Amino acid sequence: MSVNLSVTLAGIKLKNPVMPASGTFGAGREFSEFFDVGRLGAIVAKTVTLKPREGNMPPRICETTSGMLNSIGLQNEGLEYFLKHDLPYMRKFKIPIIVNIAGNTLEEYAQICRDLKGIEGVSAIELNISCPNIKAGGIAFGASSRLAEQVTAAARYNTDLPLIVKLTPNVYNISKIARAVVSAGADAVSLINTLVGMSIDINTFKPQLANYTGGLSGPAIKPVAVRMVWEVAQTVNVPIIGIGGIMTAEDAIEFFLAGATAVAIGTANFINPTAMIDIINGIERFLSERGLTDIRQLVGKVRL
Amino acid sequence: MFQVKADVISKEEISPGVFNLTLISPEISRSARPGQFVHVLCGDQNDRFLLRRPFSIHRVVPGRAFEILFQVVGSGTDELSRVKIHDALDVIGPLGNGFKYSPEIKSALLLAGGLGVAPLLFLAEELTENHVMFYAMLGAKTKTELLRYIDFKRLAKKTFAATEDGSFGHDGTVVALLNRTVHQLRPQVIYACGPEKMLQKISETAEDFGIDCQVSVEAKMACGIGACLGCTYATKRGFRLTCKDGPVFNGRDIMWGGSDVEQLPLDGYDYETAEITDSD
Ligand SMILES: Cc1cc2nc3c(=O)[nH]c(=O)nc-3n(C[C@H](O)[C@H](O)[C@H](O)COP(=O)(O)OP(=O)(O)OC[C@H]3O[C@@H](n4cnc5c(N)ncnc54)[C@H](O)[C@@H]3O)c2cc1C
Ligand SMILES: Cc1cc2nc3c(=O)[nH]c(=O)nc-3n(C[C@H](O)[C@H](O)[C@H](O)COP(=O)(O)O)c2cc1C
Ligand code: FES
Repeated sequence: MSVNLSVTLAGIKLKNPVMPASGTFGAGREFSEFFDVGRLGAIVAKTVTLKPREGNMPPRICETTSGMLNSIGLQNEGLEYFLKHDLPYMRKFKIPIIVNIAGNTLEEYAQICRDLKGIEGVSAIELNISCPNIKAGGIAFGASSRLAEQVTAAARYNTDLPLIVKLTPNVYNISKIARAVVSAGADAVSLINTLVGMSIDINTFKPQLANYTGGLSGPAIKPVAVRMVWEVAQTVNVPIIGIGGIMTAEDAIEFFLAGATAVAIGTANFINPTAMIDIINGIERFLSERGLTDIRQLVGKVRL
Repeated sequence: MFQVKADVISKEEISPGVFNLTLISPEISRSARPGQFVHVLCGDQNDRFLLRRPFSIHRVVPGRAFEILFQVVGSGTDELSRVKIHDALDVIGPLGNGFKYSPEIKSALLLAGGLGVAPLLFLAEELTENHVMFYAMLGAKTKTELLRYIDFKRLAKKTFAATEDGSFGHDGTVVALLNRTVHQLRPQVIYACGPEKMLQKISETAEDFGIDCQVSVEAKMACGIGACLGCTYATKRGFRLTCKDGPVFNGRDIMWGGSDVEQLPLDGYDYETAEITDSD
């Protein structure tokens, strides 16, 4: 019995619901040495900003219990370089390309959206709204429903592409933020980005990261992510990309049950470069073992 | 680069807490260059979720296997020290850029501090095969911590040792030994691996004497393949990835102490955005 893994997300058809999480997969070059990237449901590029960014000082990563902290600081070569070098490379895989963007002002988000207009191969835009808005005293766009709504509206006004908004978990009420971005025109939401954390070396009394704090990812955040996906699924009626600590197909299934239509894999790629392929195969096996024929039979099916 | 399940065919504790493992992998042993490393999943279960750990390729058995030499310093290396013969380890490699050399080199000096012998023994074997004459200088705190002395002695034109407690060879650090002897040895190139402070001092000496100096450095890594941008090293040409551009760099290019936050302009979030008008 064949199993249907394909899903539709913000109008894009994915042959399976598994994709990399932004920033953990580069443009796919390194991973293409380990597996056929064309087998993924989609490819999500590392966050691109209008201008190149050097990123934060090292040390930038540190391992923590069942997770890791990172403070990469959105290092990237800027939009122009991305369009010239990374996007053409990613097109080779012949799968949908989701371009993840960030800015420090509404105008930057708007500008990138305009610059992506009509560019071949861009299937959707994902807004990384975990960055501080420098005009609003550095509070992250994603931390306030008013700012989240404004940035989504600015992007929506400047693009006709499917728009995904990636939510930060560093908020009191994520459903409220989700409602705000959907009302401003988001076609889908992805969650969660990393949780802000800190780790201190007790031998040197110094923080492990030069930036002092960083984003926590990996299995440690999975229960938080599942809860947030479930809450958001109760609140909005757009598709959800579930992200956070997914290491195995079983982890991914939890997210589908909580209400995710697709999943994105981050830290797991570092431990096992073929993790996403194992997860796709595992989801297929899970369904067929239970006599299920379609991944959509799992979405939101948590029994309460 | 390859991802392989490599069988452990030998395991030896060559000094207290220092282990040598031989792992079967024709793929990795065939393409490995001295100075490259492997990224190892420590233990065959990994149920505590540990990132991979990087280890230099210590030696290759051509076309068949490779060795790593490591010291137990924390949870990953502790787990790794518990593997049994015939266990299989999940290994990615060979990774990174190794030492550069050409058969035209007239004389080289290999300088190791402690575990720094790990990548340099592989290099010593390659240089020997290519008939490049070299000296070796090994340093450690004590005689028991001095590793691979006999192996280097067999390969190098002359092998010097220095121990900080004077229990073997010269009394003092390997850096002091270098400074005392460099004008006599006059190597064309220095290859060094060891603690960062030692590499900094060696690079300074090399620069004073106009000697090319290649150092193998360390940084915390996540992916090991150039995707996460986590392992940056500050160089005078900007940030470089230790896993992809390194781990061997030219000593002259490195911003020593560059990871001290105060020393470089912080390039945080408020990047060149001040003048842009916000539609807010
Ligand atoms: C390219 C490269 C090659 C290496 N080659 C070798 C080798 O051949 N043999 C060997 O024994 N080790 C080598 N190392 C260092 C080795 O990777 C670390 O010792 C190991 O990751 C420690 O893991 P752990 O879980 O045991 O220790 P952890 O629990 O992670 O840390 C224990 C202690 O060791 C320190 N530490 C951890 N990782 C590093 C690091 N990368 N550099 C400096 N200090 C660290 C921590 O700060 C802490 O104090 C290499 C590192 C790199 C980057
Ligand atoms: C090293 C690293 C870099 C990341 N870079 C980005 C990024 O550039 N843009 C982004 O939206 N999220 C970024 N993230 C967050 C991930 O996309 C993901 O939301 C988060 O890591 C949680 O998923 P995980 O637990 O599967 O890793 C990064 C995460 C890591 C670990
Ligand atoms: S460890 Fe990921 S880029 Fe070097």
